[in-house]
Amino acid sequence: MLQGKNIVEGWRSLVLHIALALLLLVLILRYYNLMIAQHEKYVERAAANHIRAVPVAASRGVIFDRRGNLIVDNIPSYTVSVIPIELRHNPESLQQLAQIMDVEVGEIQRRIEKNRRGAFTPAKVFSRVPFQKISLLQEHRLELVGVTYSIEPIRNYLMETDMSHVLGYTREINRDDLERLGEGSDYQPGDQVGWKGLEKGYESDLHGTRGFRYLEVNALGQEIGEVEGRRPISPVPGNDLVLTIDPILQKAAEEALGDSSGSILIMDHSNGEVLAYASRPGYDLEMLSGKISQAAWTAIISDPRKPLYDRTIQGLYPAGSTLKPIAALYSLNHFEDALERSYTCRGSYRLGNRSFGCWKTGGHGKVQLVRAIQQSCNVYFYNLIQDIGLDEWAALAMDFGLGVVTGIDVPEENKGTIPTVRYMNQKYGVKRWTKGNLLNIVVGQGDILVTPLQLAQYAGIIAQRGVRFQPHLVQFIQDKDDRILRELAMTGEEVVTATDSSWRTLQHAMWLVVNGKEGTAKSARQKDWDIYGKTGTAQNPHGEDHAWFVGFSLDPQRPWSWAVLVENGGGGGGIAAPMLGRTLRNAVRRGA
Amino acid sequence: MTFGQYIRKRMHEFDWFYLLFALLLATAGLIAIYSIEFQQEAERTYFGRQVVWVVFGSILMVATYLIPRKLVHNLAYIAYGLGVLSLGALLVLGRGASVSRWINFGSLGVQPSEFMKVLLLVSLARYFADHKRQLTSVKELMTPAAMTLLPMLLVLMQPDLGTALVYIATLIVVIFWAGIRPLYFFLLLAPMISMLASFQTLSFFIWMAILLVMLWLGRMPLWTSIINFTINIMLGGVTNLLWGLLKPYQQQRILSMFNAEADPLGAGYQLSQSLTAFGSGGPFGKGFGQGTQTHLKFLPEQHTDFIMTVIGEEFGFLGVTLVIAVFYLLFARLVNQAYSSKYRFDSVVLIGVTGILVFHSFVNLGMIVGIMPVTGIPLPFISYGGSFMFTSMILLGLAANMSTSYRAAG
Repeated sequence: MLQGKNIVEGWRSLVLHIALALLLLVLILRYYNLMIAQHEKYVERAAANHIRAVPVAASRGVIFDRRGNLIVDNIPSYTVSVIPIELRHNPESLQQLAQIMDVEVGEIQRRIEKNRRGAFTPAKVFSRVPFQKISLLQEHRLELVGVTYSIEPIRNYLMETDMSHVLGYTREINRDDLERLGEGSDYQPGDQVGWKGLEKGYESDLHGTRGFRYLEVNALGQEIGEVEGRRPISPVPGNDLVLTIDPILQKAAEEALGDSSGSILIMDHSNGEVLAYASRPGYDLEMLSGKISQAAWTAIISDPRKPLYDRTIQGLYPAGSTLKPIAALYSLNHFEDALERSYTCRGSYRLGNRSFGCWKTGGHGKVQLVRAIQQSCNVYFYNLIQDIGLDEWAALAMDFGLGVVTGIDVPEENKGTIPTVRYMNQKYGVKRWTKGNLLNIVVGQGDILVTPLQLAQYAGIIAQRGVRFQPHLVQFIQDKDDRILRELAMTGEEVVTATDSSWRTLQHAMWLVVNGKEGTAKSARQKDWDIYGKTGTAQNPHGEDHAWFVGFSLDPQRPWSWAVLVENGGGGGGIAAPMLGRTLRNAVRRGA
Repeated sequence: MTFGQYIRKRMHEFDWFYLLFALLLATAGLIAIYSIEFQQEAERTYFGRQVVWVVFGSILMVATYLIPRKLVHNLAYIAYGLGVLSLGALLVLGRGASVSRWINFGSLGVQPSEFMKVLLLVSLARYFADHKRQLTSVKELMTPAAMTLLPMLLVLMQPDLGTALVYIATLIVVIFWAGIRPLYFFLLLAPMISMLASFQTLSFFIWMAILLVMLWLGRMPLWTSIINFTINIMLGGVTNLLWGLLKPYQQQRILSMFNAEADPLGAGYQLSQSLTAFGSGGPFGKGFGQGTQTHLKFLPEQHTDFIMTVIGEEFGFLGVTLVIAVFYLLFARLVNQAYSSKYRFDSVVLIGVTGILVFHSFVNLGMIVGIMPVTGIPLPFISYGGSFMFTSMILLGLAANMSTSYRAAG
């Protein structure tokens, strides 16, 4: 071999040889340390890895109404799964399964592929299997190698009322939510999670904590049996809700509403407890809980009456005349001549070249404050608002809880709109809106949007002389031993200040609305006790007027306030007030 | 000389040692993959595919060997340019969706960043062969440094930290071999050590003292010393800032290296499972197909980055020592070939091939036992996967190519 001069110095080669040897030596030493010196420790650890923790689902908390009736509980639902590798060894078992379940073999194979998580892990193929099928499977269990079934609890509804919008439904948790909750959460794919209503709002109380059984597995991953000496962790069931809903009032309200689209909400204004929450149309809870077919879902989604839309807290409507007491109270608070000042109503009011009508075409004649409310005279308030101003009026309306959420414990509440000068300037441009808009607003039209819940709360604040109690549907949460864990008692908060005589005047005017000779809501009158109210007929650019009736009672036995809304129902006095009258009469007769 | 004669002559000179060692290692990988899929019937998809990769890879190795070495030298820059372009194209095309590391040719996914390892090496080799520099000033390092930084930045944007580190490792080994003065080599590595040392105050001060002594011993001009020293202090200072720029998963991987057992279900999960499988293997292992940790699927990515734990669990200390011995023989031989080569280009290519393969092997074999961070670097010839199998085979093909030219000369 030629002994030419190398192009690289010898020491560089030596350095690399040494470096290479050192690196590999470090590895060998570390391997020696792990595999020989610490061998025992890791053998133990590997043995611990033989144990597989199998989750045991916690049962979801149940729900009671205020009279202690169980209205939602859980019933078992059967799920059939197969172990892929065992089915591959026993093709006749697949045939048999297909025959019992009345499906094609190919369909089962398709579902196995879709849900498989390994050759030894059961893959779900049928859910909500009727009990007869399960007993058939049980009969043939010796031929059905590799087929297993499990029991999963699903919701079961026991109440006679609808209440779909109050309760809401549960659904299988989706991938996004699982990712958002992260690794440490108690949720696993396939778990039910509250999707709407109280099921969603109280998810963390209802859900419970899963338990674990410890099973030993062999090197192929097949389960051998329970691990001895390791106690299973029992699941902790979810906590139960006790609602404020009174089934008698709820039923009466739902009956009165009938098939109309709309809402009746009745609450106890002395503590915020919601007693009746009727939202129509509702939907079939049984159908929506758990799995629902694509066709049924499409039918619900495309229903023109929008059954998934909860009118009580999400529906936004112009308030109509129900808001007239706000301007009246402002007048009583600020104007010394509030009671005496009078305006003449000739059936309409001229502003520039526009005419603003009163509902009574012949006019009310000379009108003062109390009669203006009792007879709902628009012209009186057209005049009055010009002395008040938009922002002053809006501030008082917001004190009454309009234009802001009430904070009720059903999720996805809408807050509506109470226009201010700033709002109008933004929407129409500075100086691009006129006094005409102002006149519309005082009678609850124009840019005003409210929910039925907000108006029921507003009526309650008038009854409580300015004190607001946050509306809520859950009285308390209790565990399985009926120990009360959390009470949702609300403390009142004074949100509107006025003198006693102002409140008395306002309440008296609202008493006359129902009980006066010329009142607009005489049809709501009750036999042995007095109720107070205000009707509203909200003009609706898209169709028939919406009918409103809001009000309250000061009877110590029945400290209730309410709002009735009938979508496209027509006049408040003709439609909404009688509905409320009927609700209360029926409920009282049945013992509410 | 006709084409047929050329092929015959070259195949006559072919050093079968390289193919033999590549296939020895690949067999170890195939055994491990077969064992993972043992008892799973009809699911032996990885094994079948890996056999295909190995066969195609061997053909690629011979094909690379057959390319006339002049051509390798002459096409180096063009190929490098094309490689950079495809990396860039990947970034542009991948935008909108998540950035991808793959370009799809039919059903075969190809990672340009893999082949860039080869292309970077041959262009660096050509640079040092064409310019017989003594590497005595910083200026002479500018071009090779830029050559390395460009693809590095492109893969960092994917983001693929592991591959970027491979490019750096290649550059360092090549510069060392090309004849850089020891002091310069030390100063070149110094910033990296400064960054590592800055994680702890005491180690940083000790390192700074060492640096000062070296600068003084090296009789560097005063102002060069001051600039150098300042750069190191500043780099140490901004390391925390750079640390913040890493993706959380990359931070986690580096952190979990230091304390895997503190967080067994989080970032350290893979490592703690890997240690258990490895340690429970013992001196002789649990036997083929008997690794409980392997078969219970406790170990993620066991057929790719963590494949050596399967060998460790089932064949024990004996098995892993054998694999390391095969690696050692291969690497030692490559260094010897590089040293004996009479041509600068050949020598640099040979040492670069060694550097790339040693870097992958050491990082991977260290990662599975917790002495290197989990960076997603596969084990040459053994890990499952086509792209890297091809790269490794092409690298050895280049090595064989450059080795015969030495023999022909000798």
